[in-house]
Amino acid sequence: MRKKIIIAASVILFSFSAKAQGILGGHVTGNVQLDGQISSRDSVIGSTDVPQKLLSNARADILYTNGDFSAGLRYEGYLGPMLGFNSQYAGQGIANYFVSYKTQTLAITAGHFYEQFGNGMTLRAYEDRYLGIDNAIRGINVMYRPVRGVTLKGLIGQQRYYWETRGLVRGVDAELSVNDIVNALAEAKTRITIGGSFVSKYEDDETILSDIDGYKLNLPLNVGCGSVRMDISHGGFGLQTEYARKGQDPSIMNNYIYKNGEALWVSASYSQKGMSANIQAKRVDNMGFKSVRSESGEMLYINYTPAITKQHTYAFLSMYPYATQSTGEIGLQGDFMYKFKKETFLGGKYGTDLHINASLIKGLDTTRIGGIGTDGYTSTFFGTGDTYYGDMSLEIAKKLSGKVKLTATYGYVVFNPVVEGHEGDIHHNHVVIGDMTWKINKKNVLRVEAEWMGSDSKYDPAVDDKRCGDWIMGLVEYNFTSAWFISLSDQYPYKDGVGNYYNISVGYTKGASRMQIGYGKQREGIICIGGVCRNVPASNGLTFSLTTSF
Amino acid sequence: MKKIFNSIFIIALTALSLGACDKIEEGNYIVFSGASGEWFDGEGVADHSQRALIEKYTGVRCVNCPDADVAINAALSQYGDKLLAVAIHDSCLAFTRPIGDSPDMRTPDGDTWSKYFGIFNGSYPAALVSRTTTGNAWDIFTPTSGINSRVDNVIGQQAKVAVEASAIHQTDAISITVNLEFMQTVSDDLTVTLFIMEDGIVATQRLHDGTDDENYVHNHVLRDVITDVWGADIDCTGNSGEKRYAVFSYKNFSQNWNLDNCHIVAFISNKSTREIINVAECEIK
Repeated sequence: MRKKIIIAASVILFSFSAKAQGILGGHVTGNVQLDGQISSRDSVIGSTDVPQKLLSNARADILYTNGDFSAGLRYEGYLGPMLGFNSQYAGQGIANYFVSYKTQTLAITAGHFYEQFGNGMTLRAYEDRYLGIDNAIRGINVMYRPVRGVTLKGLIGQQRYYWETRGLVRGVDAELSVNDIVNALAEAKTRITIGGSFVSKYEDDETILSDIDGYKLNLPLNVGCGSVRMDISHGGFGLQTEYARKGQDPSIMNNYIYKNGEALWVSASYSQKGMSANIQAKRVDNMGFKSVRSESGEMLYINYTPAITKQHTYAFLSMYPYATQSTGEIGLQGDFMYKFKKETFLGGKYGTDLHINASLIKGLDTTRIGGIGTDGYTSTFFGTGDTYYGDMSLEIAKKLSGKVKLTATYGYVVFNPVVEGHEGDIHHNHVVIGDMTWKINKKNVLRVEAEWMGSDSKYDPAVDDKRCGDWIMGLVEYNFTSAWFISLSDQYPYKDGVGNYYNISVGYTKGASRMQIGYGKQREGIICIGGVCRNVPASNGLTFSLTTSF
Repeated sequence: MKKIFNSIFIIALTALSLGACDKIEEGNYIVFSGASGEWFDGEGVADHSQRALIEKYTGVRCVNCPDADVAINAALSQYGDKLLAVAIHDSCLAFTRPIGDSPDMRTPDGDTWSKYFGIFNGSYPAALVSRTTTGNAWDIFTPTSGINSRVDNVIGQQAKVAVEASAIHQTDAISITVNLEFMQTVSDDLTVTLFIMEDGIVATQRLHDGTDDENYVHNHVLRDVITDVWGADIDCTGNSGEKRYAVFSYKNFSQNWNLDNCHIVAFISNKSTREIINVAECEIK
């Protein structure tokens, strides 16, 4: 028996070394990522010495596929976790493993899996390695298509909590493609999809004392959250909407109140060649839904409410990212893109791209009823409260010649610090950006970026918000030989701010592998992806990254 | 085959959807947790006995559990009022699930204790006597034997704290008075834990031969922990001779319980080690 195991292991290892192909008739693929950081104290920007000297995050995903069958695992190592990642990640091991069988009509996964129902308003198990969020569910996930146009999903499991699993989540989802079910509509230009989902969590009872001496909360052990959704398209027009409602869910997020939660998201769009327009609206009221009621961190979210603010990429426009307020918000976003055709007055020889985006998010209009152990508050559906966030950006991109492209952007951002949990005046920022890319030849590209931000905020040591003040920034990036790049940048608050954040980085790419090393200072702040955010402390020193796939 | 699979899948999805959401009616968002926390100087305790509490973790589908009942009943007869017993039906294992329509005797508080002491990881029946330890581990044992030696170890010591309890059923509440008298100086922080248990519950019990006894009588069944599951702090100096008392009011009892068959148990425990220092029981008058 032992001999057979050794032979089998040898076959696998040999196959693995031989480009990881053809193992037992299947294929092995994977990727490896290693990030490291050395940071030291800088009292001006607020970085501190790292006791371990070197911090590192590493991961390796291995996937084996053989026809309809697949299996995978992921090694993760946080020795120790890089700055901004929760210290509870410290350690190493197999963080994710699964086996899966998938056909056109049936898919069954046992082990860890990621899943989303609709827009995620009832369930979204996902991972974002850059945010340090992984709320994979460990359990069983089944997808079944009994007839054409009908997709049913069911799952049960526990959510990942760093190196443990917590809670118990059960969910079902059904989606119907009306055009596939109703023969008369099979060829109709109007395409309609409807869906619905229901998710519930179970959690043991615990003692949470109320404000009244001698009384504790009578906690619901099973909390349900359901939604209905619809997606209609007709030619270039599209309308998507989802309404979700959640039962009583007293938790640390809502100060243990018993009010039901609800959320509505609507998106209408139109697109044609050279033009697209989209408008989105959202209202969220007490919709934070976690598998553990006492969890206050970024982990164990079961659901997600879609962000309706633009995910800015330029440094100063993204300096104040907006974090979705699951406790309550109401907002609107409009987005318009237009391409002025070539050989027109505004299009010139190569055409001109115009992109306008604006969003406004406000709090709800609420009336307080009480605190812990009550319904908390009432709210009016269309009423609005304080302004949380607003932005407007106008971006024009134009090729000046066959080799030079210029992008000019103006942005205006209004930001209320209350969304990050602290008091303070609302910040109003104007941002101007110029971005030029020069394709010198096939193998050499130069990019130059300049940004300015004028703000009415001033750095106050008592608040210690290092984003305050008026800023300038410059960046030069040079890609050469199609493999190497070097980048130099500096962000400097020249008025009413603190710090000077310079960075230099060098990278090399060959095939599926990429290496990068950088040195500089990173400002303390918040990064958000899709409205989900985490704090990033200041750092001062060296960073490096290695990624490869096979 | 496909129809069968469809049916199973849809039934499973429906089952997942139904009954998976609890609703707490307005007015019931908070419940009395039992601990008033108000301690006063008292008159002392007449009976300075040292008593032991045996906590038996049991289940109606556990065929060996009736054997433990026999052994514990024998010990209760032997030790008289020096030994108290409570039967905890937790829901951590499948064989504590009620059989048919039989009454459900499981409690969330029992689950909390079972998980904390690691009972649910082992086999049933399992027991602890006054939450003592052996080495660095809880002295968990199978209570079909070995009861006497453990009880002797506890009641053979002089009481550090003497305790008495009395309970009166008023209109909508049970008023419970706990009296303490420190027989020795105790420097550790102490807590008092009150729980209510019921005798004479008829519920189906699975027996050795695999048959179900529908008329099995379950005694001293834990119904609810009145205080916090880990007790209420005792406001005291801990000096020898100190006498303290507190009055607790309990409203959270169920109409399904027969209060005439219920008893209140008060035990004093070390707040950090959880070891039970002394215990007392009283009827509800």
